[in-house]
Amino acid sequence: MNTTFTIARRELSSLFFSPIAYVVFGLFAIGAALIFFTGFGSGQPATMRPTFDGVVWLLIFLAPAISMRLVSDEFRTGTIEPLMTAPLSDAQVILGKWLGAMGFYLVLLVPLVVLAVVLAIHASPDPGPIVTGLIGLTLVGGLYLAIGIFASAMTENQIIAFLATVFIISLLTFLMFFLPRAAWVLPALRDAMFYLNVNGQFADFNRGLIDLANFTYFATGIALFLFLAVKVLESKRWR
Amino acid sequence: MIEAAKLTKWYGPTRAIDELTFAIPKGQIVGFLGPNGAGKSTTLRILTGYLPPTAGTATIAGHDIHTASAAARRQIGYLPESTPLYPEMRVEEYLHYRGRLMGMDRKQRHERVAVVCERCGLAHNRRRVIGHLSKGNRQRVGIAQALLHEPPVLILDEPTAGLDPVQIGEVRKLIEELRGQHTVLLSSHILPEVEKSADRVIIIAGGRIVAQGTPDELRQKVRAGGPIILEAKADAKALAASLEQLKQVAKVETEAINGWCRATVTPRDDSDLREAVGRAVFDQGFALREMRHETASLEAFFVQITAEQSMEPMHNAQ
Repeated sequence: MNTTFTIARRELSSLFFSPIAYVVFGLFAIGAALIFFTGFGSGQPATMRPTFDGVVWLLIFLAPAISMRLVSDEFRTGTIEPLMTAPLSDAQVILGKWLGAMGFYLVLLVPLVVLAVVLAIHASPDPGPIVTGLIGLTLVGGLYLAIGIFASAMTENQIIAFLATVFIISLLTFLMFFLPRAAWVLPALRDAMFYLNVNGQFADFNRGLIDLANFTYFATGIALFLFLAVKVLESKRWR
Repeated sequence: MIEAAKLTKWYGPTRAIDELTFAIPKGQIVGFLGPNGAGKSTTLRILTGYLPPTAGTATIAGHDIHTASAAARRQIGYLPESTPLYPEMRVEEYLHYRGRLMGMDRKQRHERVAVVCERCGLAHNRRRVIGHLSKGNRQRVGIAQALLHEPPVLILDEPTAGLDPVQIGEVRKLIEELRGQHTVLLSSHILPEVEKSADRVIIIAGGRIVAQGTPDELRQKVRAGGPIILEAKADAKALAASLEQLKQVAKVETEAINGWCRATVTPRDDSDLREAVGRAVFDQGFALREMRHETASLEAFFVQITAEQSMEPMHNAQ
């Protein structure tokens, strides 16, 4: 476990050295502020819900930018070799990197907390949904970063890793959001699609609900993609 | 300390190494030599657990690289080819990171980082960012990292590649200081680099071991046979005629240079021609000003033996 945190720590500090991280942070902070202040004014409901609903779409493009270099860069520069010849398992490498990326992602959410404080100064919002919303955003980010690590382990090219991640996330968001709303889709499939839709799963958190089913969805998704990433990394040894 | 048995590696349809078997006893420095593409890095990557062999096994200090991979990897300090490092990290920071991965506690790390920085000449650069270091200093960081956890086995893949002659000398000195305490396996495609510091040299070409032994043994192999070159004050035809009479001589080629004649004499077998040729030249009353083996250096032997291997892939010299 110690080695996992060692990798997480290095990954986190190296993210703070990369210009991409600052661009992502800037875009996210500006995007969140724009959405927030659009609905900010007297007579408006004192809630973070529209802001959270908006940033969850932003994450489709910003989370992959954080995760794209995690493994691919190690392959490109060859630093994967000393890492994989150290006495640690491939699972520790992947888990460590994911935790490091999560650490950065949590910093990314800080502007949202600031905006919530701004809201609390001018009005009296219900803190419950804000807290559950932030928990939901953390889980969404965790899933996207897990998908991102999986894509990053497959290629040396960061751009390809980025696009592949956006593609997989798009299947779970855009496709599963719009497709079940089409009239010709079978009702049984429609339910499955609504279930797979990340935005739908997040909506419950944003409403202030804490439901085990939503946790299960994100935990399963994160575990699945981290597992796949470990398998991809292992398979690289055989080539 | 390092034992490899019939290691074989295929990359798809390409065979990189073919049934490599060797054993390296404790405390020895062994040079692993071969032209580019001979399978050196592949072998080292298998020994360090980065790549699995297609067939065959290897043990490091008694730990099987496949069944006890983590234990085997703990015994090894490894410098991969081209020294991959994280450019954004500081030297000290990187060494502490490696120490943590190796499972060293805080106290050990502080002690060992100081020791290896001193030993590898990094004491003044400890706080510098790796990306700003020169190639030579980066190489020192790579070696310091390999020495950090005091591994019994050191595997260095081309530790002197891309360094200037002074730096090569420094690295060689450092490696020689490790003699006795560590078992060292270092690869190179340049023979003089390993010739001086290695106790034993393993030469591979085309994925096979083509020769091995101490540098002296290999040098003797060269000295014993092979063509000799001599220069005598004589008529080319007369010289050739007298030398061709010798029964060990297979072929004589001559070339006239300002009244002198240079002859290249090829023996029939591995025998040393010098004595017989010398006598023949004096018997004829020719003045002799030079006589030497054509392949006097290990370098030439290396070139010859590895070239043979690539021309005759099915021929196994040893």
